[in-house]
Amino acid sequence: MTVVLMCVSLSAQEVEKDKHLAELPSVDIQTLDGKVFNTADIQNDGKPVIISLWATWCKPCIAELLAIADEYEDWVEETGVKLYAISIDDAKTSARVAPFVNGKGWDYTVLLDVNSDFKRAMNVNDVPYMCILNGKGEIVWQHTSYAPGSEEEVYEVVKRLVKE
Amino acid sequence: MKKILLLPALCLLALSTFAQHQLGNSRISGDFGFNGMYYIPDSLIGAEKVDSKVRGNAFLNLLYSNGGFSAGARYEFYMFPLIDFEKINYKGQGIRYFFADYKNKFVHVTAGNYYEQFGNGLVLRAYEDRQLGIDNSLLGARVKVNPYKGVTIKGVWGVERLNFDSYLGRKDFVRGLDAEVSFNEMFDKVQEAGFVASVGASFVSKFEKADTEIETTLYPGSDSSATGVIPVDKIPQNVATWATRMSFGYKGFRLDGEFAQKMQDPNITNDFIYKKGDALFLSATYSMKGLGVAASFIRADNMDFRTQRMQKTNSLLYINNIPAINRQYSYQLLADYSFASQPNSQIGVQLQVNYQIPKKTKLGGKYGTDLTFNFSRFHNTDQQPVPMAELYGTMTGTEGYTSNFFKFGPDLLYQDIGFEISHRFTKQWKWILAYNYISYNLEKLQGHEGMMRGHLVASDLQWKVTSKHSLRLELQHLYTRDDDGSAIYGMLEYAISPRWFISVGDEFNYGNPNPQHRLHYFNIAGAFVWNTTRIALNFGKTKEGILCIGGVCRAVPASYGVGLSITTSF
Repeated sequence: MTVVLMCVSLSAQEVEKDKHLAELPSVDIQTLDGKVFNTADIQNDGKPVIISLWATWCKPCIAELLAIADEYEDWVEETGVKLYAISIDDAKTSARVAPFVNGKGWDYTVLLDVNSDFKRAMNVNDVPYMCILNGKGEIVWQHTSYAPGSEEEVYEVVKRLVKE
Repeated sequence: MKKILLLPALCLLALSTFAQHQLGNSRISGDFGFNGMYYIPDSLIGAEKVDSKVRGNAFLNLLYSNGGFSAGARYEFYMFPLIDFEKINYKGQGIRYFFADYKNKFVHVTAGNYYEQFGNGLVLRAYEDRQLGIDNSLLGARVKVNPYKGVTIKGVWGVERLNFDSYLGRKDFVRGLDAEVSFNEMFDKVQEAGFVASVGASFVSKFEKADTEIETTLYPGSDSSATGVIPVDKIPQNVATWATRMSFGYKGFRLDGEFAQKMQDPNITNDFIYKKGDALFLSATYSMKGLGVAASFIRADNMDFRTQRMQKTNSLLYINNIPAINRQYSYQLLADYSFASQPNSQIGVQLQVNYQIPKKTKLGGKYGTDLTFNFSRFHNTDQQPVPMAELYGTMTGTEGYTSNFFKFGPDLLYQDIGFEISHRFTKQWKWILAYNYISYNLEKLQGHEGMMRGHLVASDLQWKVTSKHSLRLELQHLYTRDDDGSAIYGMLEYAISPRWFISVGDEFNYGNPNPQHRLHYFNIAGAFVWNTTRIALNFGKTKEGILCIGGVCRAVPASYGVGLSITTSF
């Protein structure tokens, strides 16, 4: 019962606040060459950013990134969008991320969240998870799971952001 | 019992008014999950009658952040958990995870519960896997400092979470130190020259008060009930572990290695021997556009490291984590034959090659063809009993055994030889075809008899009917004369992007040696996704088996019923 009350009181408070859009939390993760990278530094010179949380063992995640890979060149050319593919592979499989990405020939910026710190800070339950940031770094769209074709919605959002 | 269904529903209602919010720099966010089931007994598949038919797991995470400061808590309601969680004693309710955290460029301090990993986790890994019911977060404090560019030092102190144990009266804690130097971050010239280089070292010690002698079974696994006693002064209260690691990379090449040792730690999992434990993890990868090669080696001997020496062996809660480096498959028919990491005795290799036949070539087609080859083989470690153990006929209380470091032990635990080909014919059609030959030691890994050797053929065909509608057909065939015999599986999934999923599937164990057990395990499932909310419903039968995630496995009893799962974040 306490939980329910907690939820209700929190949401009541929240309604009164003026809403702005959330930005990315500041969490230290890693680049593929082992350097520390702070997620608050994710940006794209005022252009939109797509963030995908994925893992080498997650089939729908890979299907989604493969589907986007087929179109990615065109997307970048038309909108200047940049995709950050943040892997949540842990120690067991994180060494395989770089060969995997290269093997697929992906042009994404790949980062490693081996301790799932970013995943937790984003309140993500399951992968695949995707979000889109506008030019100001605000989260404007989020989605979990993947169905073939949903990449088209992603691109619609990106195009709309560029026009704004 | 109805209350547990009401609770998440009410909560969701309240949360739905709550989008993302930010006032100034402060932000409140969270996520919620519910996983419930209505159980129907089925004596044929072995689904037992459970005392409460409606069961469910629920949790709510709340997170507040403002600049470098954040704080959060998780409430969990597992009073009537799913039966597989009940079996591992993940049962109770309350807040067992809460923290406050501050971070700037130089220092990062956490008080409360936290998750942490040193290096590859050989000596410390506090993590969470909700599906398995693992949460070994530490309750205490953590400090990370970056005194100089490329240098990270971490210090931890804490008491390990043990399911819904209240922490009161605990006589154990964990403390540790870790330092890492990244040369390519420290020196720009190293980075510019294309090198990656880093070294690190960790020290972790567990304290557990020894105030009563331990009575042990001298001949575990035999008919003899002879017992021995380990006096209080012979029980180490402190168990130290240390590890050292390095990484080296140049362009597409990368080498990682870590070696760890554990001091005397007689405990229930190693039959109370006084031998030191050791582990070595090596990984070499090479990649260029279109090609990736990854090879790794692991040896772990007597490295089961837990917070309590008498902790039951079926518990999944360790202080460290010895990775199972084999390739993980999500094939339904291989679910029971997934290798689980053996921290006390494993030595093995894993090799994976990914190659992409270039796009716009004869073999590659318009979209390219992906080929994957995989090989892995794991044995137990070499173990020769010490003379004292030979003399007494038991290892308990002795040094146990000696072990030739690089020698493979006599028992094959697991082997996998696999090929996979993935090809996209057109924008609409895509096909993945895989073959695996699996050898799985049922005796050592599951306590059943013998070895399972089986051939698996799996096909995954996708047809994107229109831009929003797609069909996916999975077919699998496992051919084996061992264990439960051959089986066939088929699943058809229809997705309407981006919101709806419907699937029907059936597994038929047609080759079961016992004709009465040649059963069907059908499943019907539907899911609805709206932004970050997912609601899924399923109805069907689950075979008794093992659920493995990341090389950690636990038993799942047979079940039949209706399941509901809701997850959302806000």
